[in-house]
Amino acid sequence: MRLLHAVLVPFELWNDNVLKVGRWIALVAIALMVLAILVQVFYRYALNNPLAWPEEAARFAMLWMTGLIAPSAYRRGGFVAIDMLGEALPGALTKILNLFLLSIAFGVLVVAVPIAFNEVSGFNAAFKTSSLYYPTFGGWEKVPRVWMQYSIVVGTILLIIVNIELVIRQIIKILGGGKDLKPLQVAETGAE
Amino acid sequence: MLIWFLPVFLVFLAMGLPVFFGLLAAPGILLFLADQTSDIKLLYRNVYNGMDSFPLMAIPFFMLAGEMMNRGGITIRLVEFSQALMGHLRGGLAHVNVLSSILFAGLSGSAVADTSALGSMLIPAMEKQGYTRRFAAAITAASSVIGPIIPPSGIMIIYAYVMGESVAALFLAGIVPGVMVGIGLMLMVRALADRYDLPKAERIVQKNQQIDPVEKWVSFALIRLNFAGLIYMFAPVGEEAGATLSWGVFIAILLGVHALLLYLRTIVDPDFRVVTKRAIVPLQTPIIILGGILMGVFTPTEAAAVAVAYAVLVAVFILRSMKLKDFATVLTRAAMTSAVVLLLVGAALAFKTVVSLSYAPQILADFILSLSDNPLTLLFLINILLFIVGMFLDAGPAIIILGPILGPIFVDLGVHPVHFAIIMSVNLTVGLATPPMGLVLFVASSVSGERVETIAKAILPFLAVEVFVIFLITYVPAVSLTVPRLTGFLN
Repeated sequence: MRLLHAVLVPFELWNDNVLKVGRWIALVAIALMVLAILVQVFYRYALNNPLAWPEEAARFAMLWMTGLIAPSAYRRGGFVAIDMLGEALPGALTKILNLFLLSIAFGVLVVAVPIAFNEVSGFNAAFKTSSLYYPTFGGWEKVPRVWMQYSIVVGTILLIIVNIELVIRQIIKILGGGKDLKPLQVAETGAE
Repeated sequence: MLIWFLPVFLVFLAMGLPVFFGLLAAPGILLFLADQTSDIKLLYRNVYNGMDSFPLMAIPFFMLAGEMMNRGGITIRLVEFSQALMGHLRGGLAHVNVLSSILFAGLSGSAVADTSALGSMLIPAMEKQGYTRRFAAAITAASSVIGPIIPPSGIMIIYAYVMGESVAALFLAGIVPGVMVGIGLMLMVRALADRYDLPKAERIVQKNQQIDPVEKWVSFALIRLNFAGLIYMFAPVGEEAGATLSWGVFIAILLGVHALLLYLRTIVDPDFRVVTKRAIVPLQTPIIILGGILMGVFTPTEAAAVAVAYAVLVAVFILRSMKLKDFATVLTRAAMTSAVVLLLVGAALAFKTVVSLSYAPQILADFILSLSDNPLTLLFLINILLFIVGMFLDAGPAIIILGPILGPIFVDLGVHPVHFAIIMSVNLTVGLATPPMGLVLFVASSVSGERVETIAKAILPFLAVEVFVIFLITYVPAVSLTVPRLTGFLN
């Protein structure tokens, strides 16, 4: 048990701190999304000069917002699920069921990693966004589209690290050490 | 092999696997077993492609605008305004609860936000007036389902995106059904008022309230501009009229409205005036959203961003109710909530790809058509199916999963896509207030401290009304299609 707690500590530390940074970036990203769209509306109506970049920039921000804050939502139990069966089963069985479900989630995420890496490398890396630029010493360059797609790579890796933490916590609970675990915050989520 | 994806998915779901993972795991495992690894790549790629969308951006924006308005302290203003209008009726506060939900629905697309915001204020007030706590919690939960039916609506944005419909048409189609649910609930309250001897309430709770000078002048201008704008829309000024004539007509209408309001001022109670003025600033949000979309000024996503900007202006300059720290909380909450929804939508579109690869839709369609070839009978069966699904699954995920499967079958049968969208949305939204898994029942329970089972019993008469409205919406397409048709958003 002590060993399990020792293994858990680095994951806890990572998720406590890195996800906090992720939440701050996501917070800025959502604010930038609003600003970009307002600029778009203003230029189109007030200045009669429709711009191309705000929409792409806002999508850029939205993808990074999702990639960086979804792991926090997952960690806090914010991913929508039906938990009726878990509540109906006796305690020990529920814990084993949860471990099984976490393993499936882990599988889904691990399979995603090579596919996501494949998307951001090789042939795909050559594509550029249509209206976003960044400064270089040689002048302005178009932003590569993979910069947007990296959001999903980063998001998946962060989700995997959260998943590992949740698996270790679940094993500790199964072995009867649930009382010693630090409680995780609960998220409120849903489109309803 | 692929035909099994739906049963496997349902097993995962019933076991408690988060919907996002279930949507990928079920088809993923079957594709792996069928040795179709290239399709697994397609599945994952579509999650990203599904999220990379401009129309979807309306979801975080509307969530943000709703959160900000809520934090900014507008709920009390809407409740006071509703009470000034309906408090004097028998069962006054129950009517106020329903009317506040209708008004709140124009600011936020969330039944959960409605239940927690209005419930925490109205349930204790209703108890103090002699209502039972279970009745108060039940009417709060029942009326909160109006939130996602009247625009803006998170689930309608999702449906429109997943099914390729127009968000604006869906928004407009939701107005009449939402108001009908509200009126139905009020009629039921009226019927119950006699039976349980429900009390009347004071129309004005807090007399001699003051209004901030800035807000006073802002609402002074807004109410005149709103009425003048509304009348101008029907004014016989042709498209070919010059700018001078158009402005002239508008200013003339504005002066007319001003004169009318000055007259009204002399006959209306001063407290009623203050309460109304305090509600004008928050109620401007639905006017910006719907007005902007209707006049073709904004797309729904842009309207949502403008609604956020308006909410910030209101919170900082008019209500002065939010600090910098509050902004961080609100932004984080909106980002987190919408990230989960966006991932779900991405996974749903990926799932949809696999659905189309398999023969499942055809087999399901054949099965449904073998039950009856009368669309009305089939719609009735769908009502029942959706109602049952709604009991166990929240409206958003249910729409994401069932929309692509059921939508095409009924469109082929001649049901208008927007009509079907509204049937699905309302049906599943009402599911939010049905036992055993209704999300808002749990929220109402935690806000009121009453047990879910007790609220579930007390809510039954209101659910009966909502089921009746669902049937009306299902069998009278004009209920949902008239507004989008009249406004030219539907052919």
